[in-house]
Amino acid sequence: MTTRFRCGDQVRTRAQNPEGHTRLPRYLCDRRGTVEMIHGLFALPDDRALGASLSTGRQETLYTVVFEGREVWRERSAEPLFVSADLWDSYLEPEPAR
Amino acid sequence: MSKLRWRPALGNASLRAMPSTHDVGGASGFGPIVREVDEPPFHHEWEARVFALNRRLLQLGFYNLDEFRLAVERMPSEAYLASSYYEKWFIAVERLLREKGVLE
Repeated sequence: MTTRFRCGDQVRTRAQNPEGHTRLPRYLCDRRGTVEMIHGLFALPDDRALGASLSTGRQETLYTVVFEGREVWRERSAEPLFVSADLWDSYLEPEPAR
Repeated sequence: MSKLRWRPALGNASLRAMPSTHDVGGASGFGPIVREVDEPPFHHEWEARVFALNRRLLQLGFYNLDEFRLAVERMPSEAYLASSYYEKWFIAVERLLREKGVLE
């Protein structure tokens, strides 16, 4: 697994979580955000939760992604508000620039 | 779930049956968050024991932190919503120890 994104890249979180444990909360599913920080490779918690060891489970790049409040909470959001989450590479897809 | 390099301890069927009751961030209807003044770390002695037990079992490698989190999340919805924070911890620890054959 490579580091697909750089700081400043626009990303979209996956629309639906798989079964099992994951670190992407439902309220951040299918949301557009910006990569703010790259932390390096970390063990994927989804695999670890099923008993994978640090060497047998997947390792993926971990990013801090920032979302605007309006993007997360829609019209119920306070302004200004930003939500940051540390998310693994497979939770994200590239978002076309607009 | 393809190309796994290890054998998951839990079957896929067991995960498919898993509720997502825990994933309530942003949901309304739970009432206001009550903030306790000078809240102690534990409200009962058994809570401190469960905390210590879990930390020690993690440290000794009986299970990892994400297995523990998943064990909490695998609780049936009714029990999840009716249990306090450390009750959830206790139920998860007991379940993991049974599944791993440490407890009979």
